[in-house]
Amino acid sequence: MAGAAITSRTGARPALATTYEGDDPDLLARIAPLVDFIEISPDTIAASNAGQVHLRKSVLDEYAAVRGQVDLIAHGIGLSIGSFDRWNESYIHLLDELFGRFDIAWHSEHLGCTTVAGENVGTMFALPRTDEALDLVCARVQRIQDRYSAPFLLEHIINLLPDEPAAYTPAGFLNAIVARTGCGLIVDAYNLECDAHNQGLDIPAFLDELDLAAVREVHLAGGVVHDGFHLDVHSGLVVESTLNLGLDIVRRAPCLSAVTYEFLKEAVPMIGHDAICAELARIRTAIGQ
Amino acid sequence: MSVLEHRQRGLLDLVKNRGHVPRDPYLRQVANSRELTMVRKIALWWRAVSLEAQCRFTARLLKRLGCFDARVGDYFDRHATSPFIEELSLGFLASLHDHGDPLVRSIAQFERALLNIRSGSADTYEIEWDRNPDRVVLALERADELPACEPDCRYRMQVSRDLPGMVACSRELAA
Repeated sequence: MAGAAITSRTGARPALATTYEGDDPDLLARIAPLVDFIEISPDTIAASNAGQVHLRKSVLDEYAAVRGQVDLIAHGIGLSIGSFDRWNESYIHLLDELFGRFDIAWHSEHLGCTTVAGENVGTMFALPRTDEALDLVCARVQRIQDRYSAPFLLEHIINLLPDEPAAYTPAGFLNAIVARTGCGLIVDAYNLECDAHNQGLDIPAFLDELDLAAVREVHLAGGVVHDGFHLDVHSGLVVESTLNLGLDIVRRAPCLSAVTYEFLKEAVPMIGHDAICAELARIRTAIGQ
Repeated sequence: MSVLEHRQRGLLDLVKNRGHVPRDPYLRQVANSRELTMVRKIALWWRAVSLEAQCRFTARLLKRLGCFDARVGDYFDRHATSPFIEELSLGFLASLHDHGDPLVRSIAQFERALLNIRSGSADTYEIEWDRNPDRVVLALERADELPACEPDCRYRMQVSRDLPGMVACSRELAA
């Protein structure tokens, strides 16, 4: 079984990573010198033709062009690791294709469900924190670890729907998965802020309880407040409170490998190339302190 | 049915506006929540953004007619929508085949033909219009007034990768 055997930083600063979803070579040329890793979301660079899903060659060629400057990591959206019946096999095909083309330092997925009985739900459901869900997720994490030698991480997601009585706390559920599978974790600082606002999550208590030695990656992003909800749309710069929370995790997570600034491709025209580059420089300075 | 299956199937039905008010206390709580309204709104927003990008003329026409959001919502509720934009777009355009407005049917068929050809189809697609399609597309592109229906004639369009410019169109007087 491959655990999250990512090189720990042993006191050095974590690496800096950012999103790139293709079709904007000017942006890639500008961000590649600023980061250590480019995060690839296989789902977002995929195309479907007559039911056959594949990674777009033109985008893969873009990544190949910067391989000398950066390393690559993969971060999935559509595996649906928590679906009651089966995960999304087409995502596995995409991962196979990606691993066949590049050395991927590690890969990750959201701890959620995007498909129910084969039907895409159009959003991502959080999982009930029950033993049934724990057993199901752990078995699938182990299958993933058996299939790919690269370390595998899971990211907690925001829960917009009302929370329900659970057998585990949010951190306790993640700890149980780590204890059983040896997988690593991604902590998304903005997701925590969303859950604090929308669900009343006690962030200090969450972090006190979480096995921070399992945290390999911290995500930073900006979102919006809409109809009173904090939404993790990755559409903006990182606000001060999110950055400070992320830095707190950076200081406390002893095996952290990277901090990733995430933004949606659709948000790039709004944010702008200059602002994205400035944000990466700002985060690099902050995590280097 | 396991508890997890019951929960996930119940949430899917709620997000997709299907079925009756659930008996399960948690699902009933979700059904009556503003959180569900927001989750559904986000799901529809993503579908709408994708469709506007991939089938822009159809989306623009439906918006002009004031029914784009409703059609997207209706399609989302009734169909197993694909997360892949190509399949989502083809399915949505196909769902407009019985739309009451012949112009919507024509523009949807036209964009569907283009998407199919872009995906490698060697078929020839024939589309009938009740007004000049060039002027329709131009009006949608420039946000100008749409040309009026021409009751005394029909425009017969062919779309194929083997045609110069992929499109040919002839004007025929109505019998």
